[in-house]
Amino acid sequence: MNGSKQTIRFLLNDRLIELDFNDNSEFKPTTTVLNYLRSLPFHKGVKEGCAEGDCGACTVVIAENQGGKLIYKTIDSCLVFLPMLHGKQLITVEHLADGDELHPVQQAMVDHNGSQCGYCTPGIVMSLFGLYKNQHHPSTEVIQDALTGNLCRCTGYRPIADAATSACKGEGVDKFTPAETESLYILKKLNSDQGLIELHTSSQQYYKPFTLTDALECRQKHPDALITGGSTDVALRQTKRRELLGKIIDISDVDELKSLDEQEDAFRIGSGVTLERLLHFSGSRLPALHDMLKIFGSLQIRNLATIGGNIGSASPIGDTLPLLIAYMAKIKLQSLNEERSCKLDDFITGYRSTDLRQDELITEIFIPKPSTGRIIRSYKVSRRKDLDISTVSAGFSMLTVNGTVSEMILAYGGMAAKPARAIKTEAFLTGKPWTEATVQEAMDILIKEFTPLSDARANADYRSLVARNLLIKFFEESKGQVL
Amino acid sequence: MKPESLKHDSAIKHVTGQSVYVNDMDVSPLQLISRVVYSPVAHGLIKSLDISEALKVEGVAAILTAKDIPGANQMGPVIHDEPCLADTEVIFIGQAILLIAAETEEIAIEAERLVRIEFEELDAVLSLREAIEKNLLIAPPRYIMNGNAEDALKKAPFTFDGELETGAQEHWYLETQSALAVPGEGKEMLVYASSQNPAETQAIVAEVLGVPKNEVDVEVRRMGGAFGGKETQANHVAAWAALLANATKRPVKIHLFRDDDQKITGKRHRFLSKYSIGFDETGNILAYKVELNSDAGSSTDLSRAILERAMFHAENAYYIPDISITGKAFKTNLPSNTAFRGFGGPQGMAVIENAIDRIARFLKKEPAEIRKLNFYGIDRDNLAPYGKVIENNRLHIIFDRLVNSSGYYTRRSEIESFNRQNKYLKRGMAMTPVKFGISFTTAFLNQAGALVNIYKDGTVQVNHGGTEMGQGLYTKICGVAAAELGISPDFIKVTATNTSKVPNTSATAASSGSDLNGMAVKNAIDTLRERLIPVAKAELAGAGVADVHHGSLCFKDNRVFLDISPEVSIRFQDLIQAAYFSRVSLSSTGFYKTPGIHFDRETGKGNPFYYFAYGMAVSEVQADVLTGEYKLLRSDILHDVGDSLNENIDIGQVEGGFIQGVGWCTTEEIKWDNKGRLLTHSPDTYKIPTINEMPLVFNVEFLRDHPNEGTIRKSKAVGEPPLMLAFSVWLAIKDAISAVGNHEFEPDFSLPATAEVVLLSIEEIQKKI
Repeated sequence: MNGSKQTIRFLLNDRLIELDFNDNSEFKPTTTVLNYLRSLPFHKGVKEGCAEGDCGACTVVIAENQGGKLIYKTIDSCLVFLPMLHGKQLITVEHLADGDELHPVQQAMVDHNGSQCGYCTPGIVMSLFGLYKNQHHPSTEVIQDALTGNLCRCTGYRPIADAATSACKGEGVDKFTPAETESLYILKKLNSDQGLIELHTSSQQYYKPFTLTDALECRQKHPDALITGGSTDVALRQTKRRELLGKIIDISDVDELKSLDEQEDAFRIGSGVTLERLLHFSGSRLPALHDMLKIFGSLQIRNLATIGGNIGSASPIGDTLPLLIAYMAKIKLQSLNEERSCKLDDFITGYRSTDLRQDELITEIFIPKPSTGRIIRSYKVSRRKDLDISTVSAGFSMLTVNGTVSEMILAYGGMAAKPARAIKTEAFLTGKPWTEATVQEAMDILIKEFTPLSDARANADYRSLVARNLLIKFFEESKGQVL
Repeated sequence: MKPESLKHDSAIKHVTGQSVYVNDMDVSPLQLISRVVYSPVAHGLIKSLDISEALKVEGVAAILTAKDIPGANQMGPVIHDEPCLADTEVIFIGQAILLIAAETEEIAIEAERLVRIEFEELDAVLSLREAIEKNLLIAPPRYIMNGNAEDALKKAPFTFDGELETGAQEHWYLETQSALAVPGEGKEMLVYASSQNPAETQAIVAEVLGVPKNEVDVEVRRMGGAFGGKETQANHVAAWAALLANATKRPVKIHLFRDDDQKITGKRHRFLSKYSIGFDETGNILAYKVELNSDAGSSTDLSRAILERAMFHAENAYYIPDISITGKAFKTNLPSNTAFRGFGGPQGMAVIENAIDRIARFLKKEPAEIRKLNFYGIDRDNLAPYGKVIENNRLHIIFDRLVNSSGYYTRRSEIESFNRQNKYLKRGMAMTPVKFGISFTTAFLNQAGALVNIYKDGTVQVNHGGTEMGQGLYTKICGVAAAELGISPDFIKVTATNTSKVPNTSATAASSGSDLNGMAVKNAIDTLRERLIPVAKAELAGAGVADVHHGSLCFKDNRVFLDISPEVSIRFQDLIQAAYFSRVSLSSTGFYKTPGIHFDRETGKGNPFYYFAYGMAVSEVQADVLTGEYKLLRSDILHDVGDSLNENIDIGQVEGGFIQGVGWCTTEEIKWDNKGRLLTHSPDTYKIPTINEMPLVFNVEFLRDHPNEGTIRKSKAVGEPPLMLAFSVWLAIKDAISAVGNHEFEPDFSLPATAEVVLLSIEEIQKKI
């Protein structure tokens, strides 16, 4: 490791900020962007509504250089640690208006009576700003997706949706447009040094590598450090459980982990690819994954959360996991000296535990291209369709020959301590004709195969019924596609 | 801009992030942050309490327990049964035990970790059923009845009995409970509160500090949502902040963390209601006997009034000749439940709406027809159970118009054909009415005050007792003042609600904010206009009007003139200047009390409401038979706001109230574990509607051309009634479930109708097929 830095630099609106971290600093390395902003004078527009990324009152926009273009992303500032801003531009609600002239999205919110109590409004305005910069003439679906992560308890949302429609009719030109060249120039300069950032205080060590080698070196030196990509899960340990996160390796800006390409027989996905990028990539390539990601969290979450993070956290209710098992995904694990590949199914060993070794990082995910005739579907059942954690999720994959099941994977989330396959039901179905009668028999086996828990989201009997019924749903949806 | 089309007075501040909430305020570098340490057990005795280690943490300014309260250890708003800090016994998880003030939140959290409290756990009552079995009433049962329901039930051709559970609801105001207390000289205390009831906040703060009320000022500029949750329970954080500020002589702010807010504060009362209903073969309801049982939680709070409103709405829009309504509120070891938009009304109405739905299914008739058949009549069948004749009934006109505009019957047959063609998807539709009584049912609360100041440059400050929680009250008041003074709203500023400007006000609640305060402001302006008349006549005479002794004075378009000689006018500003030099007082208070309100709780008879607000909705849903999930396809609403004071704002109240009601009826489920711990304590598990819960098609219209005589500018209250329009969604879901069994079987049903409730209900029907 060479030339490590002790400071971070970013643009706060149009101002260059340099922060260093030591015991006398006002901020910790893990101070969230939300708390940072709210501690500054004149930046209290951003609000804390939940400190867990579920309400969007803290939404801000981050602009970053992507291939020479400035890309605007909405994020939940309550989940982002300050060093993650390094080399980026942070845009806040106070900076949108040009003097007395409101930004078009602000004006539209006023014109359409989009605010009542006003507490969620700055976050909504920032989501609309992100939409304004990224989408021109957005559809209802796109508008709703952009606003799913912003809870409003007053309006019922109709006027906000109307404001979005009317504001985003143009080409996204605003006061930021002429300033982009200069912002890009500054950001490029800030990013020119790829040396490791090491932030030390007496109670925290925060490592921010920019290259895979540095990341793996950090991992080897600090096997006890938490690894964070999008921080949407790790941050909760601080904001909700009030843990002091002593050691962190932040791999959110390791470019080598962000590759995304289509190979002859597989899709290769860098572990640092955000779920939002993967959502767009999956489209027609991996439609079942696309369906799942469409209802994954919110745009603000998907802009942060990474596929590697979703796998690494190994939650029994991780939305992508059952489906990746159904896709027979493999993951690449790397350490400084070694690399190995592992079936996802084998990688997850129990409740939030994996086979990841102390010096390894998940670097890539391979999803084999489904063979012709293979039917793959994803399901997510939750109390609320969007921005909710699944009660039951599932990824099914089936290959048939002459109407007979030759291969079946039934992977479920929410039914056991880890994402789990219905092995008995799979075995029963394999070799049987794919008919409603067989499926009905299989449903009786399936319902006995799991003993799920009752919790805040649902009772066990509901989980079992849903898991069972998803089979018949799969059967219905496979009609006309079975070979 | 016309007063009735004004934008929200804070709209520009909202969208630019400039609107200030309590948690955004830093009044002094000495300001401290507070944390509330609360009980982790639902019922127990405090065996020991050790704060010695916590006090050693550098940066801790004070730690207070019940013993440190200089005044009364009490913050019950009506009945004094709610300690400010638990002393020897804890009665729910979330009950405050001690308060910490520190330089930073981190320091406060560190201190909290070092506090040692030992409890002896006692048995806790956590289910409403158990509280009912043990008869843990918080007050004697209440009765309202008309005719003889028992006899009529015996005579009725058909009867059935039933039970309905309606769940609790978390307010989920975006701004959690907050207060900033700033000590002044001597005993003075200024509290910046996020409270719907500044006068009561003042009273409670004075009480815990042991000082007279005139030492305490409470100011509320705006709340980040309230919905009833800040009617009484905002007093708590204000009292706690004031105690710490008093102890440290430094400003102290409390802003509850979301999870703490959800755990500590009360919710909409869950109810377990039992009923018997009798009817004939055409669907006429002949008799209804209902027992409404509510979960008050650990103390009284507003539970009695809420129960009373539930009873007043037990028959909703329907005339039932023989009716008996019993109300009981029970004590449990949960946070004290409190006001929430609708204030019991929704819980009372849900029972009759579900029962009517049953009748229709049983008789195999169209439910909307059964509803219409039973609506209160115009000239007959119009006596409410509490002895009030229902006047200005809008039910029939709304029904006729909405059936038409929503294409109800065409869609009914389309739905039937859809359901015949689809095995795993079922659609359902329902039309439900709301008749909501407007007034505080506690008569003396129906009063309001205002203070209007006109300054020498002709600009005006309006202050009143109402608070702004997003509902647009300030904007409506500004519109009222502009219309009454005949000047542009640009010259008027509605200032933060403050107990030192208008004293002894009632909560901004019961949908009455603009009714009461609008009238009080009008009253103040009437006084000012009276005072201005002689000055104006003198000025007009000076300007050349020959006869100033006839005709009446008009205030319009920033000018003043006589109606008989409108060609000569003077500017409003010039009139004010002249009045000042003529030594005329340009400041006036105003007052209003709603006429004719009375109710006798012993006999259950009286006139508890000044008028009723009406509305109806038709909603259609599609349910997934395999998962129980559903989607709201379309809602059509026709709502009565009289002559709207401000359509921009009223439409927001109707839509927002409706969606909030949809949340209560569908995804908002509150769960506790068997120790009384709240499982759904953050938005991770407690699911309020997102933008995707909006109906795909959403048509909202007002009942126009029906002014409401006797109210401010002929308007009607709008805050609460639309919430109950969401029963259309709830019963549409039931209709979809029912379609699984071809409407042959009555579905098991409760509220909220989560996907889980729906699937289990479908499963039961499938067992019967």
